Amino acid sequence: MTYFLPTPRAGDDCKTGRQQARASRAATLVARLQAMQKQINARNFAVLRLNGNGLPASRKLTCVLDNWGADAEATAHELTSAYGEEMLAHLDTSLLPVMWNGMGEYQVAETSDFARFTHRLAARILPYSGIALPVRLGAQGNGYVVFAGSYIDLSSEAIIDLHGRSCQIMTDLLAADERRMLPAESLSDREIGCLQMAGDGYISEEIAEKMGLSVHTVNAYLGAATTKLDSVNRIQAIAKAIRLGYIS
Amino acid sequence: MDALQTEIAIWPAPVAGVRGVGRAPSKEQLIRRLGEFAERGNLNKGLAALTDYVGATHYLLARYDLSQDEGLDFVVCSDWPFDVVKRLGKVMSQLHSKTNEMEKCLSVMQPVFTSLPDDIDISRGISREYCAITFNVGRARLSLMLLFPQDVILSQESLRDVGLLTGYFASFTRERGVRTDREFELTERELECLFWIAEGKTSDEIAVILGISRNTINNYITSVMRKTATKTRSEAIAYAVRNNLV
Repeated sequence: MTYFLPTPRAGDDCKTGRQQARASRAATLVARLQAMQKQINARNFAVLRLNGNGLPASRKLTCVLDNWGADAEATAHELTSAYGEEMLAHLDTSLLPVMWNGMGEYQVAETSDFARFTHRLAARILPYSGIALPVRLGAQGNGYVVFAGSYIDLSSEAIIDLHGRSCQIMTDLLAADERRMLPAESLSDREIGCLQMAGDGYISEEIAEKMGLSVHTVNAYLGAATTKLDSVNRIQAIAKAIRLGYIS
Repeated sequence: MDALQTEIAIWPAPVAGVRGVGRAPSKEQLIRRLGEFAERGNLNKGLAALTDYVGATHYLLARYDLSQDEGLDFVVCSDWPFDVVKRLGKVMSQLHSKTNEMEKCLSVMQPVFTSLPDDIDISRGISREYCAITFNVGRARLSLMLLFPQDVILSQESLRDVGLLTGYFASFTRERGVRTDREFELTERELECLFWIAEGKTSDEIAVILGISRNTINNYITSVMRKTATKTRSEAIAYAVRNNLV
């Protein structure tokens, strides 16, 4: 999936303002994740998001938010190379929380009354135990909220609470994305109408007839929409318009 | 998908007042019972327990993404009265087409209250509003819809818990089931082509990227259009994006 930034036409003030807003949003998310981490006695958290939705070969989990500090990159790589593939497959079929035990003797993640509703990964691969809560919002915003620690013992109630809050975190991340993805110039009603019909399988001539316009005008609208959506052709424009919610 | 079969019960006689306030099971009891039902793949009993827990009276679990289709295939399991279910397909497909992809994503796990259409009859004591919670299990978009007594206010938090638990439950029965989703009719190569077209690449460009001839690419696309019953390339891409294939 390609995300695109609006071209920063307005001056620098606007840009820094937006950056500040984004920073404060990230800060609130981090605070919420830290509260969750503390509650379950974990040491770290990480939010993994799925990208490369279309190509089976290029789908992978990317860490978008964490508190691993200096070795974040190495740690995230370690996690995804150990469990990435299994976590991807799991996300495609199931909502059940995923847990694993670490290499150390006391690095265990367990739940006495909820084991049946959790999926266990192979133990003793990573230097920490953990729980990963799958979140599947739909086309965009799929991934996991991960908590890592040494000894994690959770009741069913704690897991459900954690999972509910994880869903909310992912939803808020996606909502932030939506604002970021909006094109610099908004589409007009006519442009949206033409795109919608093109996406419904009508050719320009049919759209022209239905809307009472000439074919050239229809093509001009579609061309304008393509430019505004920063696309190279109308097909890409349609794909982006659906993802951004302009058309259905 | 043994447990995911349609089972529609008959409207039970007077419902209001059947559930006493003090009778709601505790969360621990609920989890234990759910575990037992999940073991046996008994989705109906599990949903009934969850419905009871949240203080509602009837449940309906539906494939939200299939509701455009005619018929009642979209109902996974339900104890709603049959005449209401029969009418629901249309209501749901209207809702489905009115919201866009982003709104759908952002509304996951958020309980929504909606009124039933005026011409649907429901028995006395039941609220005309129903509560719907949508969630995804794999690529399937499911919606849990609950009917509840008129004088009852459902707690948002319990509703969210129940949505999540239903998701767990459905995952449990789904993991053992066969995946019959439509997108698996498309081959990996076809999906790959779709992906690149959605990125704005032409047949010639894709030919270079994938190292196969332009005619082969065009054949793949024609085959996609045939399988998805779409008339133009644009429509095929729109189909792919809507159905989460690229």
